[in-house]
Amino acid sequence: MNTLIRNRFGTDEIEVKRDDLSKVTVVKYRVFELIHLLVEQYGYTTLNAITCADWIEEGHFAITYMLTTRARRHTFMVQTMIGREEAKIDSLTMLFPQAEIMERDLHEMYGIDFPGNGNLVELSLENWVHTPPLRREFDTLAFVNELHDFREGRDDNLDVKAEMKRLRALKKAAKEAAAKKEALKTEEKEEASQPSAAQKESGHGK
Amino acid sequence: MANRHITIFHGPQHPGITGNMSIELDLLGETILKATTHVGYLHRGFEKLIERRTVIQAFTIVCRICVPEPDPNEVNFAMAVEELAGIEVSQRAKYIRVMMLELSRLAAQFLWMAGQSGSIGLYAVGQWAIADRDLILDLFEELTGGRVYHMYVYPGGVRRDLPEGFLGRVEKVLEHLKTRLKLYDDIFIYNASFRQRAEGVGVIDAEEAVKNGYVGQVLRACGIEADVRKDAPYLVYDELEFDIPTEQAGDVYARALVRRAEMDQSIRILEQVIEKMPEGEIMAKLPTHRKFKLPKDDTWVKVESARGEFAYYMAGDGSENIRRMQVRGPSLVHAYTLLENLLVGAELSDVALIMNSLGICPPEIER
Repeated sequence: MNTLIRNRFGTDEIEVKRDDLSKVTVVKYRVFELIHLLVEQYGYTTLNAITCADWIEEGHFAITYMLTTRARRHTFMVQTMIGREEAKIDSLTMLFPQAEIMERDLHEMYGIDFPGNGNLVELSLENWVHTPPLRREFDTLAFVNELHDFREGRDDNLDVKAEMKRLRALKKAAKEAAAKKEALKTEEKEEASQPSAAQKESGHGK
Repeated sequence: MANRHITIFHGPQHPGITGNMSIELDLLGETILKATTHVGYLHRGFEKLIERRTVIQAFTIVCRICVPEPDPNEVNFAMAVEELAGIEVSQRAKYIRVMMLELSRLAAQFLWMAGQSGSIGLYAVGQWAIADRDLILDLFEELTGGRVYHMYVYPGGVRRDLPEGFLGRVEKVLEHLKTRLKLYDDIFIYNASFRQRAEGVGVIDAEEAVKNGYVGQVLRACGIEADVRKDAPYLVYDELEFDIPTEQAGDVYARALVRRAEMDQSIRILEQVIEKMPEGEIMAKLPTHRKFKLPKDDTWVKVESARGEFAYYMAGDGSENIRRMQVRGPSLVHAYTLLENLLVGAELSDVALIMNSLGICPPEIER
């Protein structure tokens, strides 16, 4: 099987990751041909997942299809790269109905279009108009700072280190004050236990 | 004549729903014409948060992906990091991980019993099940410091060794649970009112279950012997003896019978773990203290959770951060591809029953 895939799809390597896991990378326009072959001839009857990783520095998304045999003993990772700009790859819904929800998830999180999937509507984000959140360029902190104000009394969240320093200084000052107070108390006690000079003179201290 | 078509929302505020999600139901009388699943009440952006954190920082997040059953997440995360970073885990740590997973499976099945019995009004079962689950949570608390979220299975091993006499206490709890399970059979599993409600309801076809990627009890209740622990053994499951219970009917009742039989198998596994627990280190020697540099590579790891196959895709990029971690639990496909179709033609009163039988956990969809 490995030789056939290597020859037919011009891929350099089928990576055996574990006894139960292999991975092959093919060009985008041949990915479905390979999936068909794995399904029809080699018994990889189930699509377990479609995953996506954003390689922003290389300008592409790595889309991986996890195909499993009927007995679920072996998984084939079929990976292909698609450009980040106008990201698009055909839908697998014709072959696997579960691809619909998996593609819908990736559409929402990465903004990838899956022509052939008729249900790419919002999933968990409501009325989202910003950059799809799982793209690397989406900065969660900048997004929060731009859209939300910090609640009154929470301004110290802006600089945690400074706040920790201030609290440490407060704690130290409180400790010092307590020690001082304690020392003063002990002094007073000592003074009280010693008879005063006047008492000594009048003989009461004896 | 009045219009008999109505649309109602089943959840998110409904005792029969399995968490923060809702099902929009188009009804004709009491019969469901169309069901649409809605999530979005709980999205926490964990997958995004993890990309911006180092392994040790991300470790504290993963257990929160699924509330009723956090341990498969911890184990998947650890296994993926270990595979990418090339870390070998000690035999003792593997046995301890199996113990955690099986205790967690038992706890999750008790919680399921509470939910499923509650969905048909057998509330006494729920009270019992939660109390019995608490005994397992006590063990978790002693071992890890946490009852629900444990943050215990760390890449490279586990965080703490077993306290003195811990295995004896596990054995004692198991002995107690064995006597209790017989009572659950009487008041719940073989109870006529449960059988009447569950038999012939929510029937799933075996071929469809295989092709559409359904997992866990959904698959096994259709007669298909699928279990990651046997199919692609991880940790030390290949050294332990256990069976994979199956049923043929493919309905809600068959799925309940499979779950009940699996509880016996979990106890069987735990007894062997107690007997075989090896001595040794609990943590692998890491090149740098609690720092992991993941090479530019990716992997796919999976474990069998109480609700079925639970998998992680993980990619490293040569830095200390995880480039991508994608969760694939049973719920996404079960709540959409399966549930939306299975409910068509069902009765309104069976929605909670069917949903509970599929092992849907909304926090895992909105990770």
